[in-house]
Amino acid sequence: MTQEAIQLSLPGFEQAHGRWRVEYGQQIGTERIIKNRSRIEIKPLYTPRDWNGDAFLENLGFPGQYPYTRGIYPTMHRGRTWTQRQLIGLGTPEDYNKRVRIILDAGATAISLLPCNSGFRGVDCDEVDPVLLGTCGTVINTTDHMDRALEGVPLGRISTAMNDPSPFTLLAFTLGVAKKRGIPWTSISGTSNQSDYLSHFIANHMFYRLSLPGSRRVLLDHIEFCRKHVPNWNPVSVVGQHMQQAGATPVETMAFTISTALQYAQDCIERGMDIDFVLRRFTFFFDISISFFEEVAKFRAGRRIWARLARERLGAKDPGSWRFKFHGQTSGVDLTEQQSLNNIARVAVQAMAGIMSGLQSLHTDAYDEAITTPTEETARIAVATQNILREEAHLCDVIDPLGGSYYVETLTDQMEQEMVALIGKIDEAGGMYKAAEAGTIQSMIGESALAFQERVEAGDEKVIGVNSYQIDETDRRGRPTERPDPERMKEHVARFKAYKAVRSQTDVRHALDALARAANSPRENVYERIVEAAGAGVTHGEIVSLLRKELGFGHPLVVV
Amino acid sequence: MTASTLSPPARILVTKIGLDAHDRGSRIVAAYLRDAGMEVIYTPPWQSVPGVVKLAMEEDVDVIGVSSLATDHLIVPKLMDALRQAGLGHIGLVVGGIIPEDERPALIQAGVSAIFGPGAARDDIIAHVGALAVKARERRNAEFTEIAQ
Amino acid sequence: MHDDVVDKLIAGDAPTLARCITLMETGGPTADLVHQRICRHVGRAAIIGFTGAPGAGKSTLIDAYIGVLRARGLKVAVAAVDPSSPISGGAILGDRVRMRRHAEDSDVFIRSVASRGHLGGLSESIHRIVDVMDAAGRDFIIIETVGTGQSEVEVAEIADLCVVVNAPNMGDDIQAMKAGVLEIADVLVVNKADLPLARRTTEQLKSMLKLRREKLDVPVIETVATKETGIESLHEAIVGLQRTATGDKQKTRERRMRRLIAQSAGRMVHDRIRDAAGGELEGLIQAAATGEIGIVDAARRALKTVL
Repeated sequence: MTQEAIQLSLPGFEQAHGRWRVEYGQQIGTERIIKNRSRIEIKPLYTPRDWNGDAFLENLGFPGQYPYTRGIYPTMHRGRTWTQRQLIGLGTPEDYNKRVRIILDAGATAISLLPCNSGFRGVDCDEVDPVLLGTCGTVINTTDHMDRALEGVPLGRISTAMNDPSPFTLLAFTLGVAKKRGIPWTSISGTSNQSDYLSHFIANHMFYRLSLPGSRRVLLDHIEFCRKHVPNWNPVSVVGQHMQQAGATPVETMAFTISTALQYAQDCIERGMDIDFVLRRFTFFFDISISFFEEVAKFRAGRRIWARLARERLGAKDPGSWRFKFHGQTSGVDLTEQQSLNNIARVAVQAMAGIMSGLQSLHTDAYDEAITTPTEETARIAVATQNILREEAHLCDVIDPLGGSYYVETLTDQMEQEMVALIGKIDEAGGMYKAAEAGTIQSMIGESALAFQERVEAGDEKVIGVNSYQIDETDRRGRPTERPDPERMKEHVARFKAYKAVRSQTDVRHALDALARAANSPRENVYERIVEAAGAGVTHGEIVSLLRKELGFGHPLVVV
Repeated sequence: MTASTLSPPARILVTKIGLDAHDRGSRIVAAYLRDAGMEVIYTPPWQSVPGVVKLAMEEDVDVIGVSSLATDHLIVPKLMDALRQAGLGHIGLVVGGIIPEDERPALIQAGVSAIFGPGAARDDIIAHVGALAVKARERRNAEFTEIAQ
Repeated sequence: MHDDVVDKLIAGDAPTLARCITLMETGGPTADLVHQRICRHVGRAAIIGFTGAPGAGKSTLIDAYIGVLRARGLKVAVAAVDPSSPISGGAILGDRVRMRRHAEDSDVFIRSVASRGHLGGLSESIHRIVDVMDAAGRDFIIIETVGTGQSEVEVAEIADLCVVVNAPNMGDDIQAMKAGVLEIADVLVVNKADLPLARRTTEQLKSMLKLRREKLDVPVIETVATKETGIESLHEAIVGLQRTATGDKQKTRERRMRRLIAQSAGRMVHDRIRDAAGGELEGLIQAAATGEIGIVDAARRALKTVL
């Protein structure tokens, strides 16, 4: 509708608006300027003057229709609820198996696997101080371990998300297990949840293992291999989570993540891969902060930007390539150690934002996530939160319920504008890979992080229990922290050592040699050799160590 | 003597031992300390205990700040033993991050001077680290002049 | 007495070396005395400067180069220099951790040095730091600096030879184009040589060298530090240059001494003029302020009054 049309159809609009302004000004007292986390100013009221449904089809459209602002599918959650995909990982493979069976028995069709931090570091369990093992994830170093972890799990029928950074050994072990069980790789579905090496290089050094050029090579080989041999697997999950957790604003996060996706897409095109062949299996992974409306706007803007870029810039023809599929995780960074039960409310708000943004799958944090891996009780509360939002609050009933809100649409447009500008800047810097290599992205994130911290210090950003509404908690006696059973872990490590001694050394030697050769010949597919090595009994640490030698050790660029 | 009058400036090692690699907090603290006039040797995550001891010795640091998430703090006492054995017992040590309540006493017992949780105020951290540096420098100088006598 | 410290130092005790470095940075009469005592034991080490813009992969290259030196059983010391904040005086010193391969090797001694407001970019005490490392029996001493222009010239005064590290794709102007840097380069390195534009960078550097007659022999070495290729060639080039420059080593040391003495004298004069009270100096200041005499003239006369 044009401005004229508004005025014609809403007689007295200007007058009424004017009157509101005056009364507001008289009664508000001291007016403060309010900015959201992306530093966009938020007004007290939004009206048709801000957004009036102009160009509805072009900018909003209908769910399942380009540019997908209102949702990537026609039915969204009303047709099929978001996938509840809670991260699990702790202790030995048997510990993991026990937990995952409980979830499957309760009817879940999707599981995830979080490996031990030692795995992220790239070493096997016998190379680390035992007191550090299995506290944040499951120790899985071989196909045999994966087999035990997935005992009784119908691999071909459920979807598995693996927190599995380069060189993607967890998938390699899973494929080994599938082979053993006679399950065809074509029926294996899931996602390589930490395949985004640029986000690791930039913002989460936990997962960064191989040099930048080496990571690039392995990712491309991984994509090609999966698209050919494991067609129902999503080899790419472009991750916004780490950057937002490191302090990037929501606008920055979405812009950086989309730029990264563009970079990977470009790399694939240069390799000679067909863009639709690749994009069909691109997924995204984001944190959902507690800045409720900002998150909703962030995701809606992201959906729209991606659809346009995929079609117009990357030249993808398949609508499947234009659809921005994403998994959301409630942001642990907003949770507090102080008065931790408050986190249940926080997670509920974050989850609501994610659901109303139209995510495809959701993980809700347990309230003690900041302190420890969730216990059965706290994990159950996290799942109940999702169930309550679905069944009691009926958040599934309406698609894009916040669409049409003057505020949300205006904010979506504003954030889109800033995101597009930032993506343009990164283009000028030569793309995300170059910008990350030069440390530009890291600097920007560091500045945002410092600025946010300063606002918290100054009390401008209130955090309940931390800089406001504090209580004296010196008497608080925490629950004794849950740790994996040290005896079982000791046994697991001993068994692992024994396994290494009895496996075929020649098979292992051959596999490692083949892997080294592939790493040094650009025409070979490194990932194919990784999968073969996993099948030959080579361990995670051995694979990572060899690749570090041949492709370079991953040194993140630390910018303070 | 206060930290700001220390000459040469206070030298602080900010590091992560153990397996966790989340470093948003340690980077912010490093920036705080630098802006307060201290020299910060900043390491990426995954440092080994022997590596940290060697570094602390070569760099002649006054204070070590260990950033810890998950179970990393469990090996801090091992680090402190190793420092003492290497004749570096004068170095002050603070831990930042998330440490379960029931596991804090063991750290204090081992000689950790302070534990800073996520809500710790910048000025508190700077003040404490600065004071610790002054003490460490005094202890170290006393030892050195003994040798130099 | 201080002999105990000196004995331990020349015996190669690492903790003593660390504390002596701090002592040199602190300055004062004890530092002067110790430095004087160790001068006799200085002159054996090869002092190599490594400089280059951030992003060239300097630290990774040094890490690989140390590997080559260690493989030959040589003992190494590294002084990694980083700028101090001009506002707070503090600094973030993060270079040494890139030399992670040697994190537990006691024959590789690494020390981070903050420039501490020294105008040239190198810390004032770097000369003495290098001397104590030398006296402690280190065979190779590597000084690493960021390429900011001034610090390279200073490194050239201290080091036996300077390696300037470049990388392809580092913007339109090559690192070496910055004033003064090409002048001091004894070896040029093109790191990340596996990148497509590496060959072009090498050619560009070579043609720039051709324009300067005295630089014709400067080797341009291609390396890939992350894969440790080209490092042996780098070492050969360094050793080759050293062999032809043995006479110069003495000259370099003397040049360094002269500089140290000039620095010390300069500081003495500076402090005296700054702190002096008294009619003659006051008179000079007034005269200079009104333009009656020029500054240089005033300085010359001031020198006479404070000496």
